[in-house]
Amino acid sequence: MTKNSERCVITGLGMISAVGDNVKECWESVLASRSGIEHTTTVDTENCYSDYAAEVRSKGWDNIPGTEGMDRVSKLCIKAVDEAMKDSGLDDFRGDSRVSVIMGSCVGGVVSAEEYYTKEKRKELIPQMPISAIASQAAAWCHAGGAVTNVANACAAGTISIAYAADLIRAGKADIVVAGGADAFASVPYAGFTSLHALDANPCSPFNHLSGITLGEGAGALIVESYEHAVERGARIYCEVLGSGVTSDAHHITAPRPDGECQMNAIRTAIESSGLTEADIGYVNAHGTGTAKNDEAEFLSLHTIFDGKNGDLSVSSTKAMTGHCLGAAGAVEAVFAVKALTGNTVPPTLGFSKEDLVKLKERAGDIDFCPNFPKEKELKTVMSNSFAFGGNNASIVFSKEQGGVKPVKNSRGAAITGLGIVTPAGCGKESYLELCGKDMKAGDAVCSEVSKEQYDELGLKMSFYRKLDRFSQLQCVSGMYALKDGGYEITGENAPQTGIIVGTSEGALSPVCDFEMLIAEKGNANGSAFKFPNTVYNAAGGYLSICSGIKGYNVTATNGAQSGLFSAAYALDVIRAGKQKAMLATGTDENNEIMRELFGGLGLASEEPVMPYSGKDKFTLSDGSTALLLEDIDSASERGAKVYAYLTGSGSACCGVPFGTLSGSEKALETAVMEAIDDALLARDDIGAVIGFANGHKAVDAIEEEALKNLFGERANTLPVISVKDKLGEGRAASAALGAAHAALMISGDIKEQEYYTAGGKQTGKLETSGLDNILVISYGSGGSYCAAVISREDKQ
Amino acid sequence: MEIKAKLKDFICSTLGVEPDVLEYDTELFSEDPINLDSVDSLEIISFVDGEYGVDMTGVGKEHFVSIDTIAAYIEENK
Repeated sequence: MTKNSERCVITGLGMISAVGDNVKECWESVLASRSGIEHTTTVDTENCYSDYAAEVRSKGWDNIPGTEGMDRVSKLCIKAVDEAMKDSGLDDFRGDSRVSVIMGSCVGGVVSAEEYYTKEKRKELIPQMPISAIASQAAAWCHAGGAVTNVANACAAGTISIAYAADLIRAGKADIVVAGGADAFASVPYAGFTSLHALDANPCSPFNHLSGITLGEGAGALIVESYEHAVERGARIYCEVLGSGVTSDAHHITAPRPDGECQMNAIRTAIESSGLTEADIGYVNAHGTGTAKNDEAEFLSLHTIFDGKNGDLSVSSTKAMTGHCLGAAGAVEAVFAVKALTGNTVPPTLGFSKEDLVKLKERAGDIDFCPNFPKEKELKTVMSNSFAFGGNNASIVFSKEQGGVKPVKNSRGAAITGLGIVTPAGCGKESYLELCGKDMKAGDAVCSEVSKEQYDELGLKMSFYRKLDRFSQLQCVSGMYALKDGGYEITGENAPQTGIIVGTSEGALSPVCDFEMLIAEKGNANGSAFKFPNTVYNAAGGYLSICSGIKGYNVTATNGAQSGLFSAAYALDVIRAGKQKAMLATGTDENNEIMRELFGGLGLASEEPVMPYSGKDKFTLSDGSTALLLEDIDSASERGAKVYAYLTGSGSACCGVPFGTLSGSEKALETAVMEAIDDALLARDDIGAVIGFANGHKAVDAIEEEALKNLFGERANTLPVISVKDKLGEGRAASAALGAAHAALMISGDIKEQEYYTAGGKQTGKLETSGLDNILVISYGSGGSYCAAVISREDKQ
Repeated sequence: MEIKAKLKDFICSTLGVEPDVLEYDTELFSEDPINLDSVDSLEIISFVDGEYGVDMTGVGKEHFVSIDTIAAYIEENK
């Protein structure tokens, strides 16, 4: 049985969708078999073959104090968060660093992007566009002070967020996580799915007509809490969150594997990690989008896993009511799964005629797809599944019983065994080491380029790389370089044991804006089927899975520049939990005309070179991609891998300030640093050097200086602070991950001498790296989120 | 520009195919070297419709084999 210390429970629910403004209304709609799908009037449907959508049509729901000026997606999110917190008896979190916010989204602030490109280029719209804004704004709204990030894994994002929430709690890094997902209906997804001919001309009909999806919108929020914390505060407990499974297909950027292999791995992992068997699952809230490719693969997976092992399984897709809410889908459906469990009622799959029911009988076998009407059924354990563009699969189990989740507490570090570095100055680790010895300054090179030379070197064929947008190009090349550098060959055996966390600040915002400009000019009927898949932020991670063959964990985390270091922290947690043997943790962001316009519009991108600590109000915008191969220490040792260094600890904290700003949030940086040092089982005095994040913008630089002085006192006057931005500019997530890679190269002796600053850039000097045992790496995110990590010569355990 | 040259130009500029591997008789949907898929075919259909007013929606696979076969279909149906 799951030990009390490992138990995670749901103590609050919130949601908004086309079928209701809150959980009560949505659930009443489910019980009444009411669909929210109607003809849309909010987007241009001229010459489009389908005009159905499941939109939130009620008035006044968005009148939430503190959300003025936010994108529709953040308002949807905060509406659900507000309800979930009240439902859980929680008030303002007052900066509590034990409270995290993890939100899923697919398209983020596309309503703001649409307004920007079709109405007026107001600078206030710019910070609302990236997915990053959502969790950051939600955390600032409820004053959560712990780890804050968005999971940008398209249609699996909501489910992964809840899975990650439980993992964070079991890792001892949070007591409460506000988890879920949000997405708004807008022209970008509508025109995109139109271009792919993936919309049903009629309301969608999952597990039935299989002629396409109907887009929805909404948000779901769940208060995921440690059992002991919930009991201590007397919270009402809905159910347990047991195990989960997250995998990637390594197959195709939009289509699922027809053989369902990795879907099944996710489902089986969720069941096994719950300490259960197939027979224990009473109800599955399926992904069930209504497309032939998804539903056929899902029929196959469900039959393969459950046939002969579970004669009383109910399955339904609630998307026939809510539409496909993309990044919110997994969250909305998790709320339905919990309501089904606690209410002993299976939601229906709508849309079956008498003739359809005859056909369903043939396809369903022993599984009850609960057509048209809800069904009362005594339920003990339920599952919710989500599958996504990029080939991401996620499955999670909720139960009234404790299950058998195994303890995961493990304070060991992870071995850093491979590095892949792409910067504006060149590709590959050797190129970076060469650059370190050069007299180069921020602004000398600001755009990374990959070419046929790298593809050939990495064995990537034109038939693969022709599909990649630039963001994905950078990501695939750095990831493949890291595997190559680590001598880590992906095999049939290790592919499911290897995962990817992509960290990015702006992610696929450039392809989103590019697509928005296209449809603004040519109309929603004329989007590009080729371009649309690259507008999802997890496309890059999906492509990396395809070209490397990695079939394990695959998450794209986005919350500002710190995402590039957060990815390593997240990967460390995944390895410590025993979920994967090896992880690629990356940081990737691009600099292009669109990014220069957006950062320029905010007054942040300088046209003149800006060096760290130069007291300006702008920085030099740059880009790149860095990937670290992190491995379970025993696995690395078994295969005789060269170890650069060990990632021994990480910490994350947030002090919500308006998204797009930082000032006033330095205490959160101090909290993140102390968490990281504690996590590494070290003390402040053990830290020999710091890789900083100063970029020349005085507000950013001041936070770093202030926090280092507060943390290290007098020592801050001499403690070496190293910049990776003084040569390469502000590459955001790429710079954050590069900081960790640079620390590993210093520890390993690949970098023997290092120029440094002291706090605030007051003095400079040069140090021998051979004397360094522990390096602290820090990074920041817009809106006041910070991540810190410790890179060490030895793992203390 | 003749139809075949226009198709080649479109496939290279929009679908990321390198010109030196694409002849008029190269099989577009075979795994090597080009490997177009259903998403790419949607783009080709949209291009052909916009450029020549020929609707290739639902047209048999044999007409999508190469630039030669697509051009032949356009010639016959425009």
